[in-house]
Amino acid sequence: MTLVSAPAEEELRGQALAEIRRILGEQRAAASASAGVELSQALVADIHLDSMELLTLAVGLENRFRVKLNEADSAGIVTVGDLVDLVVRRALAAAAAERSAP
Amino acid sequence: MTAPQPSVPTVNAALRSAAASPYSLTFLDAQERETAFTWTKVLERASAVAGGLAARGVRGGDRVAIVIPTSPAFTDAFFGTLLAGAVPVPLYPPVRLGRLDEYHRATARMLERVGAAVVVSDERVKLLLGQSVATARPRLGLVDAEELLASAPGEWVEPRPEDLGLIQFSSGSTVDPKPVALEQRHLLAQCAALKSLMPEPASAGQLGVSWLPLYHDMGLIGALLSAAYYPGPLVLIPPEVFLGTPAIWLRAISRFRGTISPAPNFAYGLCLKRVSDRELEGVDLRSWRYALNGAEPVSPEVLRRFTERFRPLGFDAASMMPVYGLSEASLAVTFSPRRAPARVCPVDARALAEEGRADAGSYELASVGRPLPGVEVEIRGEDGRARPERRVGRVVVRGPSVMRGYYEDAEATAAALPGGWLDTGDLGFFADGELYLCGREKDLVIVRGANHAPQEFEACLEGLAGVRPGCAVALGFTPPDETSEELLILAERRGAPPQDAAVEDAIRGAVVERTGVRPHTVKMLEPGTLPRTSSGKMRRREALRRYLAGQLTPPRRMNVVRMAAELARSTFALARSRLERLRGER
Repeated sequence: MTLVSAPAEEELRGQALAEIRRILGEQRAAASASAGVELSQALVADIHLDSMELLTLAVGLENRFRVKLNEADSAGIVTVGDLVDLVVRRALAAAAAERSAP
Repeated sequence: MTAPQPSVPTVNAALRSAAASPYSLTFLDAQERETAFTWTKVLERASAVAGGLAARGVRGGDRVAIVIPTSPAFTDAFFGTLLAGAVPVPLYPPVRLGRLDEYHRATARMLERVGAAVVVSDERVKLLLGQSVATARPRLGLVDAEELLASAPGEWVEPRPEDLGLIQFSSGSTVDPKPVALEQRHLLAQCAALKSLMPEPASAGQLGVSWLPLYHDMGLIGALLSAAYYPGPLVLIPPEVFLGTPAIWLRAISRFRGTISPAPNFAYGLCLKRVSDRELEGVDLRSWRYALNGAEPVSPEVLRRFTERFRPLGFDAASMMPVYGLSEASLAVTFSPRRAPARVCPVDARALAEEGRADAGSYELASVGRPLPGVEVEIRGEDGRARPERRVGRVVVRGPSVMRGYYEDAEATAAALPGGWLDTGDLGFFADGELYLCGREKDLVIVRGANHAPQEFEACLEGLAGVRPGCAVALGFTPPDETSEELLILAERRGAPPQDAAVEDAIRGAVVERTGVRPHTVKMLEPGTLPRTSSGKMRRREALRRYLAGQLTPPRRMNVVRMAAELARSTFALARSRLERLRGER
């Protein structure tokens, strides 16, 4: 997917949440575990994602939105919403950088 | 079989001979782009790093901690440390979205444990190491591998075969990390043994592909050091790239015509679960001669399903080779021959668990093969004597790649190497000369190929409402519906059974939050149910045995009458045994 023009932020947020649900659905055999994932839920305390699931989630989001998450990012990320915000922020920044490039 | 003689005495010498070969190390990224360095270049870069380390005050024998993800910077730092005459200590780097506070505690603990002189890291990771470094305070602080690379090449220090060549942690955590001290000759003996079992040289197409972490024996010794020793080409994939897109592993084997590629059981299972046919278009696995499967219990079902699924892509069933090893033995202890299908022994699960006998039955165990050439493996009973075939006992190992000991820990070393034999703490038996593993006497939980001390998990339950303090155990088990080892928590409740669900949920959250491992099963028990020693310590293995046998039952309540009856019974038993002894003496 290429971000030719910056899509509306809301649309991007929706896509990020959908992608998180998709990746978690793939991870957990029980589809119900991912269908109910909401922005307010804590990734670890509520959804109980383990280290491999978190890593898979990070790599999956990186691949889908062509962004780079790094090891230090974990500091501010508690909920699904935090992660969506981070991905959207990075994706918009990447799109802006692409536009300003000659 | 006698141990094959290594062709060179040290890893340093192996690297130099690799540098005279035409082969390369290739790093693959998430977009499957290649960065390749010839071994000549690898040596050149490592020489610069060695110069930089020496200029900063690193001396022969110093421990150099390396905290770098799979990348050229890792090999620069690793081989540079060896060329400087120092001892590399690879530690796991932090992961994206991982828990940093726990990471700092574990890293600081490991740095202190080996008395690291310096920590070598890269541009990204170094920003996250401040706290660990501030706690452990290595003498020469923290340096970036890239800065070291800009140094003038140093003079090579020539180590002796009996000098330390590597310290690897058998389980790295805040609880009791065990630094395994390996000498140069141990590493070389392991490489020579592996090459004797997979003898085709690189000129005949031998090529390794590995996504295994380089801070772990299978990736470091089995892939990287072996490739230098052959010498031959090696393709390295960062572990997180594999976990994110498992298909990249199989595609790399196909694209580079890989012949050797090892992985733990869970990785083969992950390919079944997460790789789609669409991702494998054009993939050809015919080159893959050695699909080594080790580092955690091997599931016969995964072996079968993997073989079936990937046979249409040219995967040869004979290539699937279960192996067994542990970091204390450098890496491998036993190795399966190439054959199809992998050998499986159906045993009677009850006789195995309760009487330690491998009678014919329907519970399948996969053979992990025969001892490596030059390695002795024995099964010993509780009396320390060798057990016959098909009788379960502790697996003990002696051979040229068994560690010197745990670094600066005489007590733990003496316990692990009684009489010069390595006590693996694993339980197993021999059948037709092949080793089968069927449990563990040591307290260890292996999840996805990584070793964890149970205390690591149990500590998470301290102070948790609804759990009796100190009355919980963490265990590794393979659930009936799963094909790899998972975490089981057995905890005695403080409170009423109706609250169990909430407490179980709190336990899951607390454990995954602090350790990154989610318990598969949490079971709440009546107070007093868990078996204890006479001094009140939890008996973990016995708890697991009873759990699996469905025999975890609460203690009987003692009343005066029952107490009197117990007393009478034991007095009677005592009298009878005295009588028997007297009879025996006459």
